[in-house]
Amino acid sequence: MTGIAESLLTQYYHVVFVLLLGIGVYTMIDAKNLVKKIIGLNVFQVSVFLFLVSSGYLEGAEPAIVKDGGGPYVNPLPHVLILTAIVVGVSLTALALALVVRVYQEYGTLDEEHLQEVMSDD
Amino acid sequence: MTDALLGVVIAVPVLASVVPLIASFWRDKIGWYVALIALSVNAFIVASIVRGFLNEGRLSHEVGGVSVPYGIELALDGLSVPILVLVALVSLGTLVYTRNAGPRSNSFYSGYLLLTAGLIGVTVTGDVFNLYVFIEITGLTAYALIASGDDGRSAYAALKYLIAGTVGASLYLIGIAYAFVATGTLNMADLSARLAEVGHSDTLVLTSFAFVVAGLGVKVALFPLHTWQPDAYSSAPYGVAAYVSALVSTVSAYALGRLVLTVYTPEFLVSNPVVSSALVYFGALSIVAGSVLAVLQTDVRRLLAYSSVSQFGLVVVAFGIANPTSVFGGVVTLFGHAVVKGSLFFAAGIFAYRLGVTRLDEYEGLARKMPYTGAAFAVLALTLVGVPPAVGFVGKWYVALGAVRAGETSVAVVIFASTLLTLMYVARLVDRMYYGAAGTGTSETAVADGGTGGVCVTYGMVALVVLAAIAVVVLGPVASAVQETLALGEVLGT
Amino acid sequence: MIPRPYFESPIVMTTVRLVAPFALTYGIFVTLHGAGSPGGGFQGGVVITSVVIMIAFAFGVGPTLDWTDERVVAGLFGGGVLAFGAVTLITVPFGGSLLRVDALPIPTKYAIEAVEVFIGAIVAGVVTSLFFLLSEGGEEE
Repeated sequence: MTGIAESLLTQYYHVVFVLLLGIGVYTMIDAKNLVKKIIGLNVFQVSVFLFLVSSGYLEGAEPAIVKDGGGPYVNPLPHVLILTAIVVGVSLTALALALVVRVYQEYGTLDEEHLQEVMSDD
Repeated sequence: MTDALLGVVIAVPVLASVVPLIASFWRDKIGWYVALIALSVNAFIVASIVRGFLNEGRLSHEVGGVSVPYGIELALDGLSVPILVLVALVSLGTLVYTRNAGPRSNSFYSGYLLLTAGLIGVTVTGDVFNLYVFIEITGLTAYALIASGDDGRSAYAALKYLIAGTVGASLYLIGIAYAFVATGTLNMADLSARLAEVGHSDTLVLTSFAFVVAGLGVKVALFPLHTWQPDAYSSAPYGVAAYVSALVSTVSAYALGRLVLTVYTPEFLVSNPVVSSALVYFGALSIVAGSVLAVLQTDVRRLLAYSSVSQFGLVVVAFGIANPTSVFGGVVTLFGHAVVKGSLFFAAGIFAYRLGVTRLDEYEGLARKMPYTGAAFAVLALTLVGVPPAVGFVGKWYVALGAVRAGETSVAVVIFASTLLTLMYVARLVDRMYYGAAGTGTSETAVADGGTGGVCVTYGMVALVVLAAIAVVVLGPVASAVQETLALGEVLGT
Repeated sequence: MIPRPYFESPIVMTTVRLVAPFALTYGIFVTLHGAGSPGGGFQGGVVITSVVIMIAFAFGVGPTLDWTDERVVAGLFGGGVLAFGAVTLITVPFGGSLLRVDALPIPTKYAIEAVEVFIGAIVAGVVTSLFFLLSEGGEEE
């Protein structure tokens, strides 16, 4: 039991990753408002970014710019991956919000249950 | 020099997609011509790439001159060549169809070209993170194109597809993040070697495989991750529904096959028999559930969507068995399903535009009113069932043969049962078209000049569907002839 | 749609007038120094867009849209994409690979900075046009 508690305390980034993932997925499922679902989607994606960035952390290492006589350097690859993934996430959020605006214009409501009723009456 | 073409074939549609947006300040309907020129150029480039593949075998290109484990690699081998040819052909065919049918705004064609670029990017990339980026590009443009319908339902269906698709892609990202943490590399060929070193039964490797399969399974729309698909296909305009159903899930299934077979090689499946059985049973469940749900549908587009679930279940079974025969069967099924499903949506669009029929009970006696389209529709639907000598039969035959050779005869029984289940809903459809009482079931919308939306059905659209029906019959024997050139044994490493 | 109230506040307008040039300069600085310090095209483009958004907060979205002409914004991202594509494809005859900027006759540093500038232009153009489309309530798709 102490093994699990010890590893949980030292690897708290992974605990936060799993917590954020759970919060994001739960918000996506449970929220009635469409904008809240998109917020949940964002939290879910941010948890993945946190995991990748924290996996690239090295204690006592320098940024990945080569100088003469420098110490160990951090692998720049996870950081670049996250940059790209953040841009992808921003584009997805923008598209999702544009779709929400369109749904609001057509139906006048953002509540998921009301939308189901209105659409089944169509 | 041919390998640099692998990058050019992605760059051409991306550069061409900006032109309609900028030109929309001067001219309004220029998008179709720009797309036609760009995709024709692309078709020529794809032809020379295929010629290069036939001469040299596996093509590989390092972007930026950065050597392979550190840089991004674009690669083409026997598994990707059919998919690349498929994307080039179907993109041109859908362009012909949307000339009259689809929305012709400039922004639609910009999105169309970007979607094509994303699809080609997924096919030719050799790096797992690059695959994630291209899958997201494909997804984003697909969501935007599906939302381009006229009413609010397409926006809502696109939003549902967006949320489901993003969850899937993020699960895939978690999977490759675990694989990256385990090995330190992102290149597919290098990753397969390093994963073998880490050990195929390691917990981290197993977890990454599970996340990758779950994430790509959402994109492929396997049961029970398919729920976004019927709404998305039935709310989109017909040309868009045909393009998305033909290519987006197909390319995602190719990505799944590429990862399962090339990165986690068949040795992974051998050393974890539970995983291999789970993959095969997952696919078999999709086959059965998709067909059963399709029988229950009354709207034709939803029926076609559930039928896709069933066909992709067959493809996942083929990749799960992982010997060269079944993988060849899976590739043939992918190719054939794409052509068949796209053309079925084209034909359903023709029926809807001309006669206003969208529901199954309105299809009574349709074949008498529109004989050529009705005949083509019937041929395509029977190809789905697996009637020889069409391509559906060839695909199922090779998958079943591979299953028997691998000793999984229960899978061959499921494939046979799937033929019967598919026949259940196809037979209802064809029977109604040919033997229903004509004229009693048509809908109330005005039929005088073009049914829904005032789209006038041209001879080109009907000719496209008839051509597709002939093609799938011819493709069956052609596919068997192509088996040697694909050299799938090398791809699998056996 | 509910009309959004716009308050003309002299404090906000004056502050934005003072801060905006410095923010724009910072955005260009971040874009150009992407190779040696945190920054690059994505970040610089978004900082440049934040300048436009600040001006829209101070003076209203309509006047800001007239000031930054739509064609300038479309030209930014269209020109950016075409220029980036040109850089990618031009390296093929020189070095045999796509985007192989060290094979070009100009020093590598300038080629990398040019790529960052083009990416910054694309991002600035796209996010600005997104802001304008979403703030109008998304009239057309």
